[in-house]
Amino acid sequence: MMQRSLIFSSPNPISPHLSTPSPPPVNAVIPERNRWIAPSSFSQPSFIRFQNYQRTLPSLLCTAASDSVANQQQQMASQEEQDTRIAKISSVIRVIPDFPKPGIMFQDITTLLLDVGAFRDTIDLFVERYRGKDISVVAGVEARGFIFGPPIALAIGAKFVPMRKPNKLPGEVISEEYSLEYGTDKMEMHVGAVQAGERALIIDDLVATGGTLCAAIRLLERVGVHVVECACVIELPELKGRERLGKTPLFVLVSSST
Amino acid sequence: MFAGDQNGLQGDPRLKAISEAIRVVPHFPKPGIMFQDITTLLLDHKAFKDTVDIFVDRYRDMAISVVAGVEARGFMFGPSIALAIGAKFVPLRKPRKLPGEVISEAYVLEYGTDCLEMHVGAVQPGERALVIDDLVATGGTLSAAIRLLERVGAEVVECACVVGLREVKGHHRLNGKPLYILVEPRQQTNCSAPSGIISSL
Repeated sequence: MMQRSLIFSSPNPISPHLSTPSPPPVNAVIPERNRWIAPSSFSQPSFIRFQNYQRTLPSLLCTAASDSVANQQQQMASQEEQDTRIAKISSVIRVIPDFPKPGIMFQDITTLLLDVGAFRDTIDLFVERYRGKDISVVAGVEARGFIFGPPIALAIGAKFVPMRKPNKLPGEVISEEYSLEYGTDKMEMHVGAVQAGERALIIDDLVATGGTLCAAIRLLERVGVHVVECACVIELPELKGRERLGKTPLFVLVSSST
Repeated sequence: MFAGDQNGLQGDPRLKAISEAIRVVPHFPKPGIMFQDITTLLLDHKAFKDTVDIFVDRYRDMAISVVAGVEARGFMFGPSIALAIGAKFVPLRKPRKLPGEVISEAYVLEYGTDCLEMHVGAVQPGERALVIDDLVATGGTLSAAIRLLERVGAEVVECACVVGLREVKGHHRLNGKPLYILVEPRQQTNCSAPSGIISSL
């Protein structure tokens, strides 16, 4: 039975006040080394309702000084409001079985994009986290990262940099190869799009093994950019993408495991 | 129609800045083609924001409930517009990218054909839709997009592009639908070429 948990935050340098969330209970078989998990048995409706969730104190609301009661109440209300938004977002993500191949449960965010309020909340949750943090670059991974990245970039005053499959970007590019289940792929970024010393965010819809995000991190670091965080709507925690990202923090809204 | 032809936007300095923010890459993807590269527009926060704002100002009061963006560069502009006008965003994708049930529309390329797909159920009959892409050239892709939406009973109100020629194959409309374009393609970077100047590269 698939479980969805909501992780609002992760250990990160933006705020030191967070505790590390404990991972959701794992009942599944060892996952295959590909992007999605093969369930041992499966029956489900098209829309998964989130079943349980865990939350940690979101970094935005922590303050170092002791809070007045009113302040705490405001924090509590905001926490509930965030949970409500995340619950809605989770509930409108569609899971498609056996795509792109048998055994894989595909997390389809296109249904999220059809829900105006939930899509807006998704962007707001990222913007609330990253606004005012001196981030000048939002890098989005082709192609679904192109859907979430630009609205975030526009709202926080950053530029948007597409990270693309080979031979799509015109002009001079730098390339980074990365491993797939079978073979390799390449990711490209324009030379001159970013400058050394800039602070960047990397956006994609979903993190599985973390291979794609790692390639994006390497591309940016090669030109001297500091990757502040990777941000995704969905994480598949059993594929251990978070560990693969190493020192680069990962922030997700929804964690989905079997 | 061109944004700059309209009363409200004639001489609008935003359009000039948008045009100048677009980089021209010669001979990409093949010799003779002056590629209009909008990625440099995305690096210019003000110009990118102005681009979205101009579209939003136009479409906000047109009761549009669907913004359909053509993969992949339509994805860079469409969602921001959709969010601002309160519409849903529907990605129109290359074959086999969308999971679940799709409808497909083939269209002609210079050599061969390609296909555009949309999710079944994403759009309802009677919805008013906008189609967004970064650039219109021959209009083949946009025509396929229009057909997809019309097949499910949506009304395509307009096709909107950042860059395009005044006429697509001699017409100001595409499949009978109006085109709204912000700027014309340029012949080379750092030079706003009036018509008639050909690059000497």
